[in-house]
Amino acid sequence: MTNQAELAIEIEKLTKRYGALLAVNDISFTVRTGEVFAFLGPNGAGKTTTVEIIDTIRTPTSGKVRLLGMDVTKKKLDIVPRIGVLPQEFSSFDRITVRETVQYYSRLFSSRNTDVDGLIALVNLTEKATEQCKNLSGGLRQRLGIAVALVNDPEVVFLDEPTTGLDPRARREVWEVLVGLKKKGKTVFLTTHYMEEAELLADTVAIISKGRIIALGTPEELIAGNANYLVLTLKSVDGRSSEIVRRMGFAPSYDNNNMTVRVEHTDDVRKILNAVTDAGAAFLTLDVRKPNLEEVFLKLTGTALREDPAGGVVE
Amino acid sequence: MKPRVIGANVVVSLKSFYREKSAMFFTIAFPIILILVFGTIFMNQDNVRFPLYVQDLDHTSSSALLVKGLERNGTFRITQVDPALDARRYAKDNKVNLVLIIPKGYGWSLTQRVLLNSLDASVTFTYVYDPGSSSASTKMRLLKSAFAEMNQGMSGKPPFILSADTSILTKKYRFIEFFVPGVIAMSVMTASLSGAVTVNAELRQKGVIRKLSTTPITRTDWILSNLLYQFILAVISTMAMLLVSYAVFKVSLQINPWLFLFILLDVFAFGGIGMILTRVATDAESAAAAANAIMFPMMFLSGSFFPLEMMPGFLQTIARTLPLYYVNEGLRASMVAVDHMTALRYAAIIGMFAAVAFVLGILATKWEGGK
Repeated sequence: MTNQAELAIEIEKLTKRYGALLAVNDISFTVRTGEVFAFLGPNGAGKTTTVEIIDTIRTPTSGKVRLLGMDVTKKKLDIVPRIGVLPQEFSSFDRITVRETVQYYSRLFSSRNTDVDGLIALVNLTEKATEQCKNLSGGLRQRLGIAVALVNDPEVVFLDEPTTGLDPRARREVWEVLVGLKKKGKTVFLTTHYMEEAELLADTVAIISKGRIIALGTPEELIAGNANYLVLTLKSVDGRSSEIVRRMGFAPSYDNNNMTVRVEHTDDVRKILNAVTDAGAAFLTLDVRKPNLEEVFLKLTGTALREDPAGGVVE
Repeated sequence: MKPRVIGANVVVSLKSFYREKSAMFFTIAFPIILILVFGTIFMNQDNVRFPLYVQDLDHTSSSALLVKGLERNGTFRITQVDPALDARRYAKDNKVNLVLIIPKGYGWSLTQRVLLNSLDASVTFTYVYDPGSSSASTKMRLLKSAFAEMNQGMSGKPPFILSADTSILTKKYRFIEFFVPGVIAMSVMTASLSGAVTVNAELRQKGVIRKLSTTPITRTDWILSNLLYQFILAVISTMAMLLVSYAVFKVSLQINPWLFLFILLDVFAFGGIGMILTRVATDAESAAAAANAIMFPMMFLSGSFFPLEMMPGFLQTIARTLPLYYVNEGLRASMVAVDHMTALRYAAIIGMFAAVAFVLGILATKWEGGK
């Protein structure tokens, strides 16, 4: 059992309703100081509602939310100077430059010794420091948002979908910045609907679907607990092989000359390979890997992560 | 209230304004253009000369003298019409709204009357006019009164009723001096109202307000920053308007502390209305439309551009319920008539309105709760 001081965030039976809509349904969890906590779920699962309640933008319908040991509904003024927030789709004043934007927010926090250029360098925007916000691409704007979230040297950083809508390269650039934050020992609360992001960055992952947390643990625990199998892929394989494997009692899928099959034990891999080779069905290469969070999510919810599940709630 | 926070906001707003050239144009150049255009149109309203077409069928030295007399009077710019032409046809073809015809025999009749005192001798002048033209009837009235004076003079007796003109103002003021305070009141209103709508609706839609709500800035500080910025902008724009008015039209308008007080109250009153509108409207576009729906009737009904006395009675009553009316009249009282008691009365009325609008505006501004 961890003691209170080590908990940055404590959520107990949190519920948020919008009229008849139940956006967050009785969730409880804690976030340890210094960890990266990822809130993972599809659009409309209740991620943003939850994070906005914790970072004081919204108020809960019921339940207890403590941040840095303080009740978020009562101590907003004490909490705000100690946290940094990157809201969803960060946007700032169009005609103000990157450096001026960071300066502006540091003045709002009355922090006199903010290292403005250091923050700009941290998010790799030094070359864009004199560019106006309206000229920044989505990725650059998100990175500026991260710099702005750090002007007060916060103890807890909230990042609401920092990479949504970015192309893969821009996403990787944001990840680099987040890895840097992790190294600095900040407590980071991250929401995302990208599995790779959670797997790469998070110490703890909570999977949320339709307003409820359906799984919670380290990425390894979640995979071990919910997807205890191996994925075998044979590339450029003969079409006959799926039939052979199916007759052995497995459920292979065949697509684009590749066959993928889930197996319980390493033994099964050997058996399948033998059977395929014996039948004379050649293959180019093979790949055996552990399942990822994407598959955990699929197993837990029955829906793919990036699609809006039917009946999902509005965020 | 944190001055450092308010200062940071004002700096950001002023920089944004300076870098947004179209906003600069509408805030500063537009009212100046308005003043230049209307000021030029009405510049010589006091000694305006009407064009007058005269067809002299008599063609004697007496009739020539009469025409010259009309011209020297200063009211008319005379154009002679060829006596051989048909006056009606001429007026129609040349879009002339009035032709004065001096009949043949004018000189002879005049001699009869003046030298021989023959009471039978008289002449009839014909006015060929376009009944649809209001300036034709104005000119006819002016001509008839000039001729009445001549008739009276020929009677040889001094006139009985004389007139003396005394203005209610200590000095005579021109249209432009009436107009400029109205344009100041109007442009400060439009800038504050649409400024409040833009700031609150647009920044809310973009999520900037949501971000601000996770910083230590309070709702009141945010609103005060915006109004302070609007006030600075209003003072800059007013000074530009006055500079142009002094330089181009040599207006005689007094600048005193009342001017700044009325600008401040104008900003708070309409900034407050803007904040209330933002709450009622669902998005930035409908808020802007609602702002226009309030501003346009206000501009034309509250006597910004022309004196209220020109409007029918019930419209004048409506005007007195509009807040902009009190800014218009207050500014005129302080700048034109320099009547401090009247200025104080109007300031008190608009001040009460501004206080209510400001408080309601703060209450209406949604700070927490994001989008």
